[in-house]
Amino acid sequence: MTFTEFIVTYGGVFFAGLGIAVAVFLSGIGSAIGIGIVGQAASGLVIEEPEKFGRSLVLQLLPGTQGLYGFVIGLLVLGQLDAGMSLAHGMYLLAACLPIGFVGWQSAIAQGKTAAAGISILAKNEEHSTKGIIYAVMVETYALLAFVISLILVNAVSF
Amino acid sequence: MAIVKMSEFSLFAFDSSKEKLLHELQKFEYVHFLNLEDREDISDLGLKKVRVPEKIVSVEEDLAKVNHSIEILSKFYKKETGIAAMKKGLETYTFQELEDEALRIEYLPMYENVNNLWKKRDAIRQSVEKNKGKIQELMPWSGLSTNIKDLNSIKACELLIGTVPKKLQDKLTDSMMDSQYTYYEVLEEDKDNLYLIVMSHNNEAEMIKDKLRTISFSRVQLHGEGTPRDVIKTLEEENANYHVEIETLEKEIEKMSDSLPKLELAYDYLNNKKLRIAAAENFMMTEKVNVIKGYIPTDKEADFNKRVEDVLDNTYYLQLKEADKEDIKTPILLKNSKFAQSFESLTSMYALPRYNEIDPTPLLAPFYLAFFGMMAADVGYGLIMLIATFVVLRMFNLSENTKKFVRFFYYLSFSVIIWGFLYGSLFGGIIPLPGLFDPATDYNTLLILSIVFGLIHIYFALALKAYVLIKDGKIKDAMFDVGFWYLALTGAIVYLLNIVMDLPPILKTISLVVMIVGMVGIVATGGRDATSIVGRIGGGVYSLYGISGYVGDFVSYSRLMALGLAGGFIAGAVNMMAGMVAQKGIIGIVFAVVIFIFGQTFNLGLSLLGAYVHTIRLTFVEFFGKFYEGGGIGFKKFKTEPKYINLK
Repeated sequence: MTFTEFIVTYGGVFFAGLGIAVAVFLSGIGSAIGIGIVGQAASGLVIEEPEKFGRSLVLQLLPGTQGLYGFVIGLLVLGQLDAGMSLAHGMYLLAACLPIGFVGWQSAIAQGKTAAAGISILAKNEEHSTKGIIYAVMVETYALLAFVISLILVNAVSF
Repeated sequence: MAIVKMSEFSLFAFDSSKEKLLHELQKFEYVHFLNLEDREDISDLGLKKVRVPEKIVSVEEDLAKVNHSIEILSKFYKKETGIAAMKKGLETYTFQELEDEALRIEYLPMYENVNNLWKKRDAIRQSVEKNKGKIQELMPWSGLSTNIKDLNSIKACELLIGTVPKKLQDKLTDSMMDSQYTYYEVLEEDKDNLYLIVMSHNNEAEMIKDKLRTISFSRVQLHGEGTPRDVIKTLEEENANYHVEIETLEKEIEKMSDSLPKLELAYDYLNNKKLRIAAAENFMMTEKVNVIKGYIPTDKEADFNKRVEDVLDNTYYLQLKEADKEDIKTPILLKNSKFAQSFESLTSMYALPRYNEIDPTPLLAPFYLAFFGMMAADVGYGLIMLIATFVVLRMFNLSENTKKFVRFFYYLSFSVIIWGFLYGSLFGGIIPLPGLFDPATDYNTLLILSIVFGLIHIYFALALKAYVLIKDGKIKDAMFDVGFWYLALTGAIVYLLNIVMDLPPILKTISLVVMIVGMVGIVATGGRDATSIVGRIGGGVYSLYGISGYVGDFVSYSRLMALGLAGGFIAGAVNMMAGMVAQKGIIGIVFAVVIFIFGQTFNLGLSLLGAYVHTIRLTFVEFFGKFYEGGGIGFKKFKTEPKYINLK
């Protein structure tokens, strides 16, 4: 069996699996970093004003959604996984996973920074802390768009 | 939908009756004072600003005292907690009741008593801490069985006690090797230090001291009567006595903590009093007469007139007129139905409308309701919301603002349930429901539905823009800025539909024509404010470029489908995990229940938060962006938000 034959025979399921991995790990890393950034900022606030914990938690949660979008896409591709799938099918699924993987990764970090800045609104002017949440949500729009495209791609073509 | 109509008043009254007047107006509540200092037409008349700093300072002092007492007493006060307390909630007073009650409370003597006891307690606690420090110092020397005083009474020898860092232990042994008349002993050691006693004959003492210095020996001075152990014992006994004293003091404070509710009442009263006194700083005055300007709701004019007359007899001059529509200083008070009221917080979060605008609250409410439901969409989650909010509203005595907030979610829960049925989703499909759509396969339909909702939302916003323009008599502007856009957008959409769908060819031609008419209209009129021809054309083309913004707007509505889907899938994934674990026997089932409850709760929170903020975004950016400007000043009622009671 030459290498090319090997790839053609087993490559499909490998690339599809790689797609799941990319969708989950990239967006997961991004969310973890984003949540981490907000958590650090929030800890500083909670030292002085522990009663704001609940609201700071809301801000911290925001960059967490990208990881979940990646997880959902991963789960959907998982449903199509089959040991005998063609190489083209597998590579297509990998491509379908890329949008949420990359956009999820970077947008979660950007959103984390925005939400961390929102923590300072919470610290100094609690009444308006919802506005900080809205700023952070503006970033999420692009993760959502990537999620929509990944979702459509996963199901758009039947092999 | 309404911004409450305002009347502007100008009132001239004698300075001597100022307090009485303010007092009455505070009961009236619906007065918004204008700060006259920045009104040039009045300050140019040579009037002085009214200043009352001493009075404010004295109220502030009282406030600080009452607040301090509250802080102390609330440490001891046994508050009802849990459901019973929430059921009871805060007590409700009218302003009159609050004042009658508060004036009977002698808060200053209370403060003196509490503060004295607290100071005593603090002083004793400091002594306890000091003793603890002494005990800590003596602890390492407790092996010394000599009276501390006797340590320095040996004539022929010098006695040194002190510490040496532990890492220098070897050097210590070395340096003591060649001494002849010196005895040393390590009494105690901890992780850093050795505690030494060194006894050296006078002949050798200086040399030993030098040697010790090179190994960082630091001398310790002990104080007290008797052996270190005795001293420690005495100190500990002293501390035990102190603790008893503290306990008695605390019991006394605890006994006084019954008066905490009274102090809280006084606190809220004093805050209102401070506001009342500070309000006078908005006024201007001549030698004897105060000039007061402000706003009241028009429908309260009669009441206002009567109250002023009652207080001031005939010695005043009052003029009332309709508030200026264009003046941005006219304060905004919103008045809506019970349903729309719940959404007012969204409007004010963005910006209150200006007095010449419309109140967008009742207009955004139905869309908010529909969109929120579409994003959260789950029968189970909706039912949890419905039951929780219903119980809270029914059982608990809440403040007005909290009540509005809870009612907001109460209304939303219905939408969540309805959309849950449409999606056929109950806790992510734990019991299969026959839904209208299956999100897993019909996402294309849902995407189109989302965009259609977006279309309706944006078209409605444009219609509102036209309404506002026409209301102001700018019919031409409505035609140019809204009419042409309707033509261009509708034409473009129908034309694009032709590409994907089989529509009669005539429609294609009509839509193309309509689109071009609209676009030409936009280019021709978009830059009509510019003076030069080039500027006009440039402005027009730039306006048309705004069509890319509309594309972005429509795409933005895809979040309606995406969030609903993501929430559904995550709930499904939780169920899947729980299902896998559940097959592993009884322990598995226990774990499955835990996974299910924890996972679904997490997803419930996340879905609601996501739906809440993303719907806000659609409202603020896509909807408000088309017609709403905002920037009005809120009507400041003449009372402060109470902290410990509900004020009617």
